[in-house]
This record gives sequence, C-alpha cells and structure tokens, in this order.
Amino acid sequence: MRIEAVNLDKHFRKVHAVKNLSFVVEPGRVTGFLGPNGSGKSTTMRLMLGLDSGGGETLYDGKKLSSHKPVTRTIGAHLDAKFFHPKRTAYSHLRMLGAEAGISKARVHEVLKLVGLESVAKKRPGGFSLGMGQRLGLAGAILADPQVLMLDEPANGLDPQSIQWLRDFLKNYASTGKSVLVSSHLLSEMELLADDVVVIARGNLIAAESMPAFLSRATGSSVVVRSPQSDKLAELLTAQGIASTSDGARTIVIPGQTTDRIGEIAFTNGIALSELSPRTASLEQVFLEITESGQDYRLGETS
Amino acid sequence: MISNLVYEWRRLWSIRATWIMTFMYLVIAGLLGAGPLFLGDGAFGTQTWAGLYSTNANFLCLVMLSVVASQFFGHEYRYGTIRLTLTEFPKRERVLLAKTLILAVYVTISTFLGWAVLGVVGSIAPEGSIGTEGPGLNINGGEASQLWEILVFGFAYCVIAMSLTMITRNLAMGIVLPLLVFAVIENLILLFSTLAKGKMDWLVDILPFTNGTAWLTHLPESPNAGLIFASWVVGSYVIGAAMFFKRDA
Repeated sequence: MRIEAVNLDKHFRKVHAVKNLSFVVEPGRVTGFLGPNGSGKSTTMRLMLGLDSGGGETLYDGKKLSSHKPVTRTIGAHLDAKFFHPKRTAYSHLRMLGAEAGISKARVHEVLKLVGLESVAKKRPGGFSLGMGQRLGLAGAILADPQVLMLDEPANGLDPQSIQWLRDFLKNYASTGKSVLVSSHLLSEMELLADDVVVIARGNLIAAESMPAFLSRATGSSVVVRSPQSDKLAELLTAQGIASTSDGARTIVIPGQTTDRIGEIAFTNGIALSELSPRTASLEQVFLEITESGQDYRLGETS
Repeated sequence: MISNLVYEWRRLWSIRATWIMTFMYLVIAGLLGAGPLFLGDGAFGTQTWAGLYSTNANFLCLVMLSVVASQFFGHEYRYGTIRLTLTEFPKRERVLLAKTLILAVYVTISTFLGWAVLGVVGSIAPEGSIGTEGPGLNINGGEASQLWEILVFGFAYCVIAMSLTMITRNLAMGIVLPLLVFAVIENLILLFSTLAKGKMDWLVDILPFTNGTAWLTHLPESPNAGLIFASWVVGSYVIGAAMFFKRDA
C-alpha cells in the first residue's frame, strides 16, 4: 500500500512543529524516518494517523484511513512502548485490540509467541521492561497483519538480539509488498534496515529519497589506498592536482575521488596496490552533516 | 459499530478495577439497605420496598459507579491507550457513542444486581421492618416506574462523571467533582441560601443534583427539576464531546 503524506502542517500555539511536509512511503520497502529530537517525527506520525488535527492529509492507496475497512488490516501503529493499561494482561490487551478486525484467540497467541511474550501472556504489563513493552506494542501493531506498519522508535530498549530480530522481521514484512515506516535514533541500525529515508529537521523536510542516494550526499566520500609505494603514489597524485593525506603506514586517503580514477593512475604508473577501497560516509555522518543546522536542542561542547 | 462495542466491552471488563468497583457497589448498596432494617430497631420507621430499592440512588453507591464511568476516558488518557483506540476507530463520534452505550449497559446491569442484593436483604429483614406504606411507591402494588427513574438518575450521574473526565482528561476529577458538588457544595449553597433569606434562590433553583434528587423524589414544588437536571447532564456531555472531537489525542 502506497502512503502519500500531502502538505502536513501542525502548530502548537507559537511553535510551528511540522511545516508543510509531503513525502511518499512506497510499498515493499522499509522507509526510515529520521530527524533530531523535537524535529516533529512523532507529531508527523500522529498527523498521518489522524490522532492530531492539523493541515494537509495522508492518503493510503489514494483514500483516507477512515475509508478503509477494517482499519487495523490497513495500518498497524506502535507509537510508544508504554501505551497499555498496566493492569490489563498482555493477552487481554491484544484481545481488545483485535476487536475491530475480528481477530481470533489463536492469532493472539500466535503473535504473542512471535514477539516472545507467550510466557507472560497472562501477566499484567505494569512490570514489563521497556523492551517487553516494545514487543507488546509491536504485537498490537502486527496483530491484524496490516498492509502498513508505522513504528515510532521501536528499537528503544531492545537488546541486540531483539534488534536483529526486529530488523529481519521488518525486512521480511516489507518484502511481501507491505509498507513499513519506522523512526529511530539508532542510525547504524537504520542504515542496515531502511531502503528509503525521510529526513526532517525543525519540521522541515530535508530529504526523501533512497538510502544510497541519501548517503551519496556526503561531502566526505574518499578512496583509501594501501601500497608499498604509497609515497610515490602521493607524489604522482599531487602532480595531477589531487590532494591526499597519509593515514598510517603505507596508507593514504584521497578525498573526492573514485576508485576507478585512482586505480587507473596507479596502474599507468606501475604502482602495486595492496588495497583500493571506497570510504563512503555512514548514515550517521550524512545525517549529522545535513541536520546540523536543524537541531533544536543543541548539546554543549565536550571537553 | 458492533466492533466498537466489542472493543469497549473488552476494555471495560479486562481490568480488575471494574470488578472491584462493581463488587464494592453491591456491598455498599446491601449495607446501606440493611442498616435501617437491621440496626434501627424501628428507629427509622417502617421501610417500604421502594424506599429500600432507592438505596441505589444514594451518593455512596453512585460514587462507585462513577469510578467506572470515569475510567471510560480516564484510563485511556492516563495510559495513552486513547491513541490505540483512535487509530483503530478513527471516527470519534462512534467511539463516544460506543462508550456511552456500554456505560448505559454497565449501569443497568449494576443497578439490577444492586436491586437483587437489596431484594435478598429485604427478604431476610426482620418481620415488620418492611411495610407497604410510607414514602415512595409501593413496589408490591405493581408501581415500578420509580425504579426506572433510579436507573436513569444513576446513568445521568455517570454521564456527568464521564463528561468531566472528557473535559479534564483526569480520572480523579471525574470522580471527585460530582461527589464534591453533590455531597458538599450543594449542601453548603442550600445552607447559605437559608441564611441569605431568599437572595440566593436563583442559584438553588439551578443546582444540578438538588434538582436531580427533587425529580427523583417527585417534589411537587420543583416541577422543572427534571428538565434542569437533564440540562446539566446534556450540557456537560456536549461540552465533553466537543472537546473529545476537537482536541489532539
């Protein structure tokens, strides 16, 4: 299912939290939703679900969410790990959420088993850890096997094994043609998970494109060369107007070049290479570079 | 709409608080009903069946019901589940309608259970403590309309409690405010009104629960009591609904 957010806009009194945001979440892909703290990610998700009132609209396969029946087979949302009554058992919580789509008891047990909460199904979740709360929230979202999953920071509080499980689960989910929109602060995790990214800062859209396209925005892409003749290669590059820096013994880093170009120069001049590799910027580097000016709550310098 | 109702029904009965408050409601109704029959030794006069069944309208009983009524929205906002509810059911008017209908069902069931308890209490009461004469209507004589009025009064009280929770988004306010107004503030106003020698009559005339109980007891000097009480109930419900529809979840 294709999700189209059109001109989403939201004011909180004097704060313009979301500014005319438009983007698309394509089916069959995991879309990462990134932004600094307070950038408007959660507000945008609430606008998309119709929980908050504001400008613009969100269309699910061209229709408003309320036009889809049953809604829970269209979208499953997990917005917070603590959205449950602490005295209502995990099983009862899911039974309640399954009312709209007529979910069977067997499916509730199946989902509890899937997220690893079967042993605590009859326990009240007031004592659940953050990670267990996340799993319960995810269970609620996937209960009716919806066409769209919308998850806000679902990896918070999960242990590494659970994060890996979540990554595999979401990738598999999207691979069946469903849409996944997931926000996260864990950028290294998002780099492994997301096919597309939507980046916002201070409520403004910064980027909405595929992950490779976003990573290619980095100004810090470079080529790493290791060679017994690294000094000679550096001289040759300087003669051709290409800057390089030494990066340890027999290793040089050449910014702003491609491996094809450097390999050709080395080959032409008979220089043996032990390593020739691109060093692309990580999602974190690109994210920090692009959203630097859009951070609302700036941190102080560390000494 | 059926799924909305199923959702609300499961939401209501899947927490222990509902069972506890219902149980307490029945216990309190039984104790309040049994008190004059067993302990009064005739000091309270002869009780009628109608008087006994009116115990359900006592504010102590209503407080128990109002706790559950306030939870319809109070728990949803307190624990954030309102966002799950409204994601599942984006049409808020249906959510409100479902909550109101389930509240009506809950109050009806509780009230009938309360009468069942009071019926048991009355059946084992000492000989002569329940007669057919006295204030109220003679249920044994077949006149049961006042029972429906008690049920309506209980539901109306709960609607006020639920509406105040919608307005304040605070569970405690939905419980405490009606109780405070019913049991304390209106009595203070009535007292000051007496001291003010008629200057505060206009205020007394529009008090919600004073009018509610006047309607319930068919006071001949308050012909519009039912209308005034209904205005308070509908007014608080409409304001609560408007805020529920308009505000962010």
